Amino acid sequence: MAKKILVVDDSKTALMMEREILEKRKNYHCVTAADGQEAVEKAQQERPDLVLMDVVMPRMNGFEACKAMRQQDGTRETPIVLVTTRSEESYMEAGFQSGCNDYITKPVDGAELVALVESYLGE
Amino acid sequence: MSKSNKSGQKPTGSDSMNEARLEAARKRMAESRDPEDALEGLREIAANFLGSEEVGLFCVDQRTAALQAYWSFGIDLEKYDLRRVLGDAGLRQVMLGEYYVGTCNSDASGRAQAFIPIRLENETIAIVAILRLLPHKHAFDKWDVELFKILSNEAAAALFGPSAHSKALATGRG
Repeated sequence: MAKKILVVDDSKTALMMEREILEKRKNYHCVTAADGQEAVEKAQQERPDLVLMDVVMPRMNGFEACKAMRQQDGTRETPIVLVTTRSEESYMEAGFQSGCNDYITKPVDGAELVALVESYLGE
Repeated sequence: MSKSNKSGQKPTGSDSMNEARLEAARKRMAESRDPEDALEGLREIAANFLGSEEVGLFCVDQRTAALQAYWSFGIDLEKYDLRRVLGDAGLRQVMLGEYYVGTCNSDASGRAQAFIPIRLENETIAIVAILRLLPHKHAFDKWDVELFKILSNEAAAALFGPSAHSKALATGRG
């Protein structure tokens, strides 16, 4: 059965590209959310194998959503990869403090994204 | 199964991933609900695929060849002199339908900037300016150039809606 990835971004363009790569080219099953609040809810319902999440989003940002997921039983151990335009070390440190496992910067390199996802999903 | 490219060779893994980026950009423009949504798509493409959070759109007055600031994100275009930045040669190149890549002179970074003609009926009706790149992005690559071509050839109708056609008709032909 295809592994399930929760892809979270308020940008339709980013979601389209990540789905193109992860679903059409790598056969993962993607579910999507458009902000952190929706992501936390979807993560509880869908129990994804991995969460790929933007940081700057309305309602609840990626750091806050990451923290919230780490406090819930169903997603405490789920790998979370944050995606953002910011590459500063302090920003990345804030991501790790929120509980993410990894970090990737925009513009996302598709091959790098797939390698990162596969490293967590064991494929 | 991966598809073959124009040369009959299967794309490499990296090529396939970059093609996904192009497909997403094409789809985003084509599926825009209205010009406002297309402008949001343009902002998203600049940030997510080209690595810039400073983007502007200028319209070309077909009668006077004046460049008019139309929309921007992350920069105030009222203070931006596109004609000076492009220079005569750069402007001519863009008006003829070729993208133009220059160097950012507003800081010491020396990062690239790109100016992309938006084409309709063989006319440049607008220019997209991709200005300051993110700190970890220094230049444009061949896949960015492919993306420029998609924007150039396919974004006019999405960005300007029905008025795109009238902009093209307002050339010296009419």
